[in-house]
Amino acid sequence: MSALDTFFAELEKQLGAGSVNRSEETIRRYGENTMAGGDKRPAGVVYPQSTADVQAIVRLANTMKVPLYPVSTGQNIGLGSRSAPREGQVVVDCGFKMNRILEIDEKLAFAVVEPGVSYQALYDELVRRGNKLMLDVTSGPPQGGMIGNALDKGAGYTPYFDHFGFSCGLEIVLGNGEILRTGDGALNSQTLANWHTSKYSFGPILDGLFAQSNYGIVTRMGVWLLPKPPAVRSFHFAFPEDSDLEQIIELARPLKMSNFVPTLFRLANDLYLCGSEGESPEYAASRGKKSISDEGRRALREKHGLGAWNLSGAFYGPSAAAIEPMIQRVIDHFGQIKNTKYIPHEDASQIGPLQVGINAFSGIPSYGELGLLKWRPGGGNLWFLPGTPMDGKIANEFQAICRGVYEEFGMDYMVMNVCGPRFARGLHVMTFNREDPDECARADACYRKMSEAVGERGVFVGRAPVDYHDFHMAQAMPSFRDACNGIKTALDPHNVIAPGRYGIG
Amino acid sequence: MQTSFSPQQLARPEIAEADGILRTCVHYGFCTATCPTYVLFRDENDSPRGRIDLIRAMLEKGGAPDAKTVHHLDRCLSCLSCVTTCAVKVDYTHLIDIARSYIERHFRRPLGERMLRLLLAQTLPYPRRFIAAMKLARLARPLAGVMPKRLGNLLQLAEREPRTELVKPQVIPAEGRRRMRVLLLTGCAQQALDADINAATIRVLTRHGCEVVIAEGAGCCGALPLHMGREDEGRALARRNVAAWSREWTDGIGAVVVNASGCGTTVKDYGHLLGTDEAKRIGAMTRDVTEILADLDLQVQPDWKPYRVAYHDACSLQHGQRVTAPPRQLLRKAGFEVIDLPEKHFCCGSAGTYNLLQPEIAQTLGQRKAAHADSVDPDVIAAGNLGCMVQIGRYTQVPMLHTVSLIDWATGGPMPLALQGRTLREPERKPAQPERKPAQPEPSPSIAPASIETPPTSNDSGFW
Repeated sequence: MSALDTFFAELEKQLGAGSVNRSEETIRRYGENTMAGGDKRPAGVVYPQSTADVQAIVRLANTMKVPLYPVSTGQNIGLGSRSAPREGQVVVDCGFKMNRILEIDEKLAFAVVEPGVSYQALYDELVRRGNKLMLDVTSGPPQGGMIGNALDKGAGYTPYFDHFGFSCGLEIVLGNGEILRTGDGALNSQTLANWHTSKYSFGPILDGLFAQSNYGIVTRMGVWLLPKPPAVRSFHFAFPEDSDLEQIIELARPLKMSNFVPTLFRLANDLYLCGSEGESPEYAASRGKKSISDEGRRALREKHGLGAWNLSGAFYGPSAAAIEPMIQRVIDHFGQIKNTKYIPHEDASQIGPLQVGINAFSGIPSYGELGLLKWRPGGGNLWFLPGTPMDGKIANEFQAICRGVYEEFGMDYMVMNVCGPRFARGLHVMTFNREDPDECARADACYRKMSEAVGERGVFVGRAPVDYHDFHMAQAMPSFRDACNGIKTALDPHNVIAPGRYGIG
Repeated sequence: MQTSFSPQQLARPEIAEADGILRTCVHYGFCTATCPTYVLFRDENDSPRGRIDLIRAMLEKGGAPDAKTVHHLDRCLSCLSCVTTCAVKVDYTHLIDIARSYIERHFRRPLGERMLRLLLAQTLPYPRRFIAAMKLARLARPLAGVMPKRLGNLLQLAEREPRTELVKPQVIPAEGRRRMRVLLLTGCAQQALDADINAATIRVLTRHGCEVVIAEGAGCCGALPLHMGREDEGRALARRNVAAWSREWTDGIGAVVVNASGCGTTVKDYGHLLGTDEAKRIGAMTRDVTEILADLDLQVQPDWKPYRVAYHDACSLQHGQRVTAPPRQLLRKAGFEVIDLPEKHFCCGSAGTYNLLQPEIAQTLGQRKAAHADSVDPDVIAAGNLGCMVQIGRYTQVPMLHTVSLIDWATGGPMPLALQGRTLREPERKPAQPERKPAQPEPSPSIAPASIETPPTSNDSGFW
């Protein structure tokens, strides 16, 4: 019996029958991803059903020096799926049995969830309880995991968009097997009144150590909820020219700095929106070697009634009538850009790609944006997530750089800038044919070249596909790398939690 | 996904069709998260993605499929939740049908299973046989405990005294001015298990100006045998309906109306199943009864009590036909308070003959669905499919009703039989307001309802 066999046998003994899965089909699937670099087969999968189970797994992994790879729930498409950074790690799938909503406090407006709780599950429960509270959702699939998204610094669009920022109070099984509670949960007491209401009481704020890292396995998280507004009214604008981006950013910034508009702005280019409605009309002709033509983009814009850039946001209020004057101010504001087309809420709700935004502003999980994944055949998908300061000139410069690199490698430039007051995350989607080695190589080269190009201009990525964690960590200053690894040694001395995740360990 | 069929294999239409479908799957895996059996078992082979792989291997290899493949494909509910979720829109609907048919032709099941499937295929689609079988089953009920589980489940169908009525071929005139002439599929098992549904449908349609035609010779839509892979029998039943309806076809026919959504999904797909122009025309003209009623001006009773209705989306309606908004809009318009169920994308376990062929899984799913329904504290649970009503009704004490029965009641029809003798709570709230706007085109099912379509917030908690 190999050491791994012994590990799994012992785990099954401790956790019970059905807690280990080493079937070929399972191993193959858990190793799959959408990256250009190929799949990464794990050694097997284990299914904990409690924090105590997670502790048992981590302790045994320490004893037997077996690397683990914890996942929550959802698909994580574009960022690595459930595939570990390296082959041979044991996937700890917390999504199967640790999927309980542990608490909903309607008075203080927070929920406490386990890793397997999806946006849809919490949404359903809030509706069931009378629809008084709203959670912030991504525009990705409803079955995405709340803890996984928050820990990877995912975001939505409502005032509670920052999923890690609006989490409060974690329970973590550290790499050494100990349990840590963050925030006010650190109090050594059985009664924790402020665990999920206050983040900044005594001592250092440790929560951040567990975002985009591998120092422990988070088994519980508090998440703050927004009182549901009686009325949500969105507004949408289509702008005709690529170069309009500069002025759009300049006009959007003050609306966010003043918080006049409570949501983030979804500022998406034509292909990002039209791509969710169909397949590339030019892929077959160019065999994926060329970016879509300007004529092709224009035709798509006309077909869907959209622009080269498209901006969406929303207001909340007691009624549609109460919101209307604010909508009018925004119409006047963006009307300063030549040939701007305003798309009202009702019209937008009948346009698929804009309805996705309305749902997101309303805290309703939806599937609409998944259509982007079939823009090109073959199932390849990478997300490139740099950001830009909310400065029109800089944003436009980045557009030119990235658009140029996409075209150099025959990719189709799809991006949504999610705009806050000072910073916009640029969600660049790269779809490519993973069954075509040449296209895979171009996608990989495109990703690396863009990372280096924006890096030279002082821009780091945010979230990153698992294949590029080492690459990006190498872009960091040496002392940052040393600090990350030093913390790893302290909290996970045998390097058993996701070695290599985010380039650590 | 790459495939490797030989030219000889691809010369067969069903393999060519399967090949085209298989190639679209790229294993993103979104389907797994909403697949009931994957959620229950976490077994790749019990997920749509895993089953697609099994189907590919089975068809590529040819010959008799292995028992493992059949086991996992049999456990698929054909609920089509995966189709709603799939990012690349793999046509799993037809792929699993091809696979079931292939298994039926090439795999020899154990004798008991063959007999059971034969019994179901020869009974359920034929109302008279089914009614006779129900009578026999009631006599045999004392033996249920000592019978094999699946047969025991069959006997459970006969636990309650159903209201049976075969609707004769006829033309039922519209009340008042005729606004539309429609063909109504009265179905098969539905006539044996709950004749109230057809009666309510006819009442509500005629009350709203529809002349209802029950065509001579129309019967089972074919879904039940198709669901078991008995393609030839399914096609034969479909052809019979197409012929029956075509005989009645005049320019005045506005639609084929179906009030069992499992049947509706099949009839809407007749064009694909039979490939003829007539079948395509009928498929294109087929509507769920709630789609038809949504287009009519519902005659709402004044001062209707807003009973609290938990609405269950039958899979065939929400995933198969993408009809989610009209039933809710109608119920709200009629004055009911409509509540969504948690996990509404999930199957209740009925799934045609699934609850008879896979009783353990069906029971788990049925209990799960009923618990969700109970959790919203409804006065009644509504669904648009008899199978779901029977299945969920087994695990809840809350009255289970067809949507059309409630609409009928609220627009002047009698109180549904399932409610007679019961005392419903006095509703606390005012009726929900009618839609603020005219009925909108139904949103794409892949898109959750936009904020304007969500139930009105009953209480804003004082925050706003």
